[in-house]
Amino acid sequence: MPPAIRFDGVAKRYIIHHQRPRSFQEALVNMVHRRNGDREVFWALHDVSFSIEPGETVGIIGPNGSGKSTALKLISRIIEPTSGSVAVAGRVAALIELGAGFHPDLTGRENIYLLGSIMGISGREMDRRLSAIVEFAELERFIDTAVKHYSSGMYMRLGFSTAIHVDADVFLIDELLAVGDEHFQRKCLEAIQGFQQQGMTVVLVTHDLPLAGKFCPRTILLQQGHLLADGPTAGVLQQYLEVAAH
Amino acid sequence: MWEHLRELYAYRELVKNLVVRDLKLRYRNSALGFLWCLLNPLLMMVVFTIVFTVLLTNNSIQHFPVFILTGILAWNLHTTALLGAINSVVGNAALVQKVYFPREVLPIATVLSNAVNFLLSLVVLFGMIMLYRVPLSATVLLLPLVILVQVVFTVGLALFLAAVNVYFRDTASVLETLMLAWFFLTPIFYRIEDVFPLYSRLMYVLNPPASFIAAYRDILYYGGMTNLDFFSRTAATSLLVLVAGYVFFRRASRGFVEAL
Ligand SMILES: Nc1ncnc2c1ncn2[C@@H]1O[C@H](COP(=O)(O)OP(=O)(O)O)[C@@H](O)[C@H]1O
Ligand SMILES: [Mg+2]
Repeated sequence: MPPAIRFDGVAKRYIIHHQRPRSFQEALVNMVHRRNGDREVFWALHDVSFSIEPGETVGIIGPNGSGKSTALKLISRIIEPTSGSVAVAGRVAALIELGAGFHPDLTGRENIYLLGSIMGISGREMDRRLSAIVEFAELERFIDTAVKHYSSGMYMRLGFSTAIHVDADVFLIDELLAVGDEHFQRKCLEAIQGFQQQGMTVVLVTHDLPLAGKFCPRTILLQQGHLLADGPTAGVLQQYLEVAAH
Repeated sequence: MWEHLRELYAYRELVKNLVVRDLKLRYRNSALGFLWCLLNPLLMMVVFTIVFTVLLTNNSIQHFPVFILTGILAWNLHTTALLGAINSVVGNAALVQKVYFPREVLPIATVLSNAVNFLLSLVVLFGMIMLYRVPLSATVLLLPLVILVQVVFTVGLALFLAAVNVYFRDTASVLETLMLAWFFLTPIFYRIEDVFPLYSRLMYVLNPPASFIAAYRDILYYGGMTNLDFFSRTAATSLLVLVAGYVFFRRASRGFVEAL
């Protein structure tokens, strides 16, 4: 079986344009003033290689700006590596707050279907998941209400619940616990445990070291875009604490 | 490229759902929504007819309301589809940055929902054709083909414009301004042969919408045959625009997330 996720010498470069023209007007002004818009090159990941087998749960930890979210975006194909290769087997679902994809004038139910198709899931498959999604979000009574009437908590729960009920092979979680109340967070954690038991691959980016210790047998430590450590969680957490102390 | 096309095909349900969403929102929010889609071209028809046949007393064009309506409807499709699609990627930035899906579905769906709207508004045109007893022939059956060619062209151009607008955000306002000039250069309220007799050939070649409108008029207004040799050139141009727009969009879309 091929690995679920394989990074082979992956590097990601962001180009930060301090004066990149955002419009033709600015481009013209720059031309007249003979500015060529100074740009800064920033490497968010350098030569990162690892491979994750199907069914593994792997944590990614590291200080802010170390490239964790960049790594997840590469896995979900939202961005492409500057060099090296990223290979992912099967369908990827990112457990992110998907409320951004909602249309305020559509009902909760209509939004669920739309979001499903954005994630590449057929209407028939969504039919089967609908009741689980609604129940998980605890929105049974409001599912035919336009989401513009939802509170921000309801919005978030629906977005998350849709994402969590997708049939995927690889689940990506970026700072899951940043959202929701405690009750909903606990439900999300239980759902993730469910994925683990069903043999799905889970990648969990977190600042919460005890959480990594609890969920992930293996952890990857990133620092300034370098892969510093990759191995059993206890040892990697130890190393992280040492790095953080400096 | 074939791989990308196959992927796009796999997302056909998303395209359908986005089109349905657009139409739902358009017609749900106002009970008058559908009526408006019929009334708007009718009102424009009345205004143009008054201006050109009463004020300017130009009576050389028979059944002027039908003549103008064919032009207006085709032009409306052109302009609403492009102005909508050009913002389709930028307007969905939050989604594009969070979920992977072939981004070309956004402009494609916008064009298609406007095309559905166009189909609905044809009711008005056929109403006027009957009212003025414009004699039509079996060539009316070519209508779906002409619509298809226009949609192909519009999707191609929409892909190109939507991608450029991600990098240069004033593309949309530039287009809005250009649309006015484009409107006057397109034979909507006049016949190219009357106004630019020497350059008519060139005007058609440089401006595909002029060719679509000529084809619509051949079959819906003159009730005759459209010049098939000419029409197949228009179709080839449209196809070329579609392929170029698609290839351009694919290349540009790799940088969308970082540019948004
Ligand atoms: N679109 C972007 N353009 C420029 N720089 C970026 C972009 N996205 C992230 N970065 C930079 O890349 C670095 C890594 O970011 P990120 O992967 O979000 O880190 P983390 O999730 O570990 O905090 C940060 O310094 C961030 O500023
Ligand atoms: Mg992050």
